[in-house]
Amino acid sequence: MIPEKSSAKVEEYAFGGLVAVVGAFTLIDATTIAARADNAVGPRAFPYAVGALLIVTGVAAIVATARGRLGQAEEGEDVDTGVRTDWVTVAKLVAVLVAHLVLIDVVGWPVAATVLFFGAAWTLGAVWWRALPIAVVLALVVQVVFAYGLGLSLPAGIFEGVPFLDG
Amino acid sequence: MGSLTALLEGFATAAQPEYLLYALLGVTLGTAVGVLPGIGPAMTVALLLPLTYTLDPTAALIIFAGIYYGGMYGGSTTSILLNTPGESASIVTALEGNRMARAGRGAAALATAAIGSFVAGTIATVLLTLLAPTIADIAVTLGPADYVALMVVAFTTVAALLGSSPLRGLASLGLGLFIGLVGTDTLTGQQRFTLGVPTLADGIDVVVVAVGMFAVGEALYVASRLRHGPIEVIPVGGKWMNREFWARSWKPWLRGTFIGFPIGTVPAGGADVSTFLSYAAEKKLSKRPEEFGKGAIEGVAGPEAANNAAAAGVLVPLLTLGLPTTATAAVIVAAFQSYGIQPGPLLFTNNSAMVWALIASLYIGNVMLLVLNLPLVKIWVKVLQIPRPYLYAGILLFAALGTYAVNFVVDDLIVLMVIGVAGFFMRRHGYPVAPLVVGMILGPMAEEQLRRTLQISEGSLAALVTSPFAAIAYSVLVVLLVVATVMRLRRKKSEVPV
Repeated sequence: MIPEKSSAKVEEYAFGGLVAVVGAFTLIDATTIAARADNAVGPRAFPYAVGALLIVTGVAAIVATARGRLGQAEEGEDVDTGVRTDWVTVAKLVAVLVAHLVLIDVVGWPVAATVLFFGAAWTLGAVWWRALPIAVVLALVVQVVFAYGLGLSLPAGIFEGVPFLDG
Repeated sequence: MGSLTALLEGFATAAQPEYLLYALLGVTLGTAVGVLPGIGPAMTVALLLPLTYTLDPTAALIIFAGIYYGGMYGGSTTSILLNTPGESASIVTALEGNRMARAGRGAAALATAAIGSFVAGTIATVLLTLLAPTIADIAVTLGPADYVALMVVAFTTVAALLGSSPLRGLASLGLGLFIGLVGTDTLTGQQRFTLGVPTLADGIDVVVVAVGMFAVGEALYVASRLRHGPIEVIPVGGKWMNREFWARSWKPWLRGTFIGFPIGTVPAGGADVSTFLSYAAEKKLSKRPEEFGKGAIEGVAGPEAANNAAAAGVLVPLLTLGLPTTATAAVIVAAFQSYGIQPGPLLFTNNSAMVWALIASLYIGNVMLLVLNLPLVKIWVKVLQIPRPYLYAGILLFAALGTYAVNFVVDDLIVLMVIGVAGFFMRRHGYPVAPLVVGMILGPMAEEQLRRTLQISEGSLAALVTSPFAAIAYSVLVVLLVVATVMRLRRKKSEVPV
């Protein structure tokens, strides 16, 4: 826990700053919304209020951080608050998600879903030869259920024209 | 007597085999997601939204209500049997229930939680049945300024009163309000904050935000600090069907119910506050206060009942005013809206058959949940043991699937990822995610009412506070804030070691 404190502080400044930046963007972009003068309250007023709220809370978060009042990380059943952040795992999961969304239009949903489930399970420590068949079966079952059970056809991709899989 | 007839008709609808099946599906799913760490009812309802468009609204809402009630039951099983702290609403249960389970009295702890949830859920649903039509009658007379006041109260309580850090709650609310702004302005048809991107012109879908925050954000966060090693589930031991069990449980159940329901109804603290109050009350009233902290059954019975009663109480403002005060309630409002129904005072006149079928299904759902969680609890113990890599991989897969199924465009998945990463950092730094979801869903409604008020008053801001109802609402809010601040300061004082 302790060695992470200084980097936690940097992150906390960054997040507070981000909130304030979103607020500034809201205020600036709100001025470009066309509003008729005769309108008592146009489409700008509420965005101004939201922008102000974001700037105030963002700055307040930065001030609180400077005073040493850091946010309390959330607890959970599967969360071990005593360990250091495993950034590699987080990066891998984001990469798997990116791969999934890129692959949907290229090779179809079943393959993209297999990549997502297998990639995520493997990253999190599952044995690959057990995760792979589960991923394949799960993806195909969902594809069939969607096509025939719900009448929503997910892009079949490389399985186009294959009975059952192409809804 | 009008509402009794309506309720009976509701039962006639909800008891049809088809709707019974939907209710069973809802409560089963709800218990499952309540038991499983990492997913909750809010996200489950959001995920199912795109898949239920083909159902009729009554069926879909019966499923969602089942998930909502079921999640409350399931959560207690986890906190009693798992060796680690659980979702906030059931932490107090974890304290006593976990100790009981370790002492070999797990069966009694599970039974008092399940039966207490049933008793509280049923009594609270009766209170809901009695109260809701009356409140709806009063609510019909409310003007736009009154709604603005109610929403300000809801925003403030959800953001500033519930979490540990009011500042971070408000920041989260602000982000949610901002997300709600993105899209086309309903009154003037102008695009706002869309950056010229066509995908954003229709606004960001509730499903994408809720799933991104709750599923992707949670999965990334858990992955960053995953508890490795075997999942230790405490074996269920002991007998519970004895006189001592009933004698020590029934009073805490009733007290918990009457503490929880009002707190859920008045948006003043949600489930957490009600469980803590109930726990404190039981400890004070107990003849054996020394047992508290070591496995006192009253400490499970009371808070569990309070938790469920509060959950039912939340439905009162939800159905009569259209005012969500928890993340799950907010997603349910979005579900109503996706069917073109606006929850609020007119619900009981315009969609009377549907809303009474929904209320009737709550009674039925409670009975189903008692069966699912008492004799069948062993099944959930198995569910609890799902290996975590597969659990979180599955959460990510279904999160992506649910998001993609909204519009079948990949752009939504990009938005999902951005929101998921934001949710990850919010969890790391103690920003609660519920205010964001509530803000996003309630924000556009608040803006509409605000503009309507000021249009009628021709721009005079005084109109916001001159209505007697609004004035009362703001005064109550001020009192609540003062009380909360005093309590916070006191707690801080008591934390300082002397």
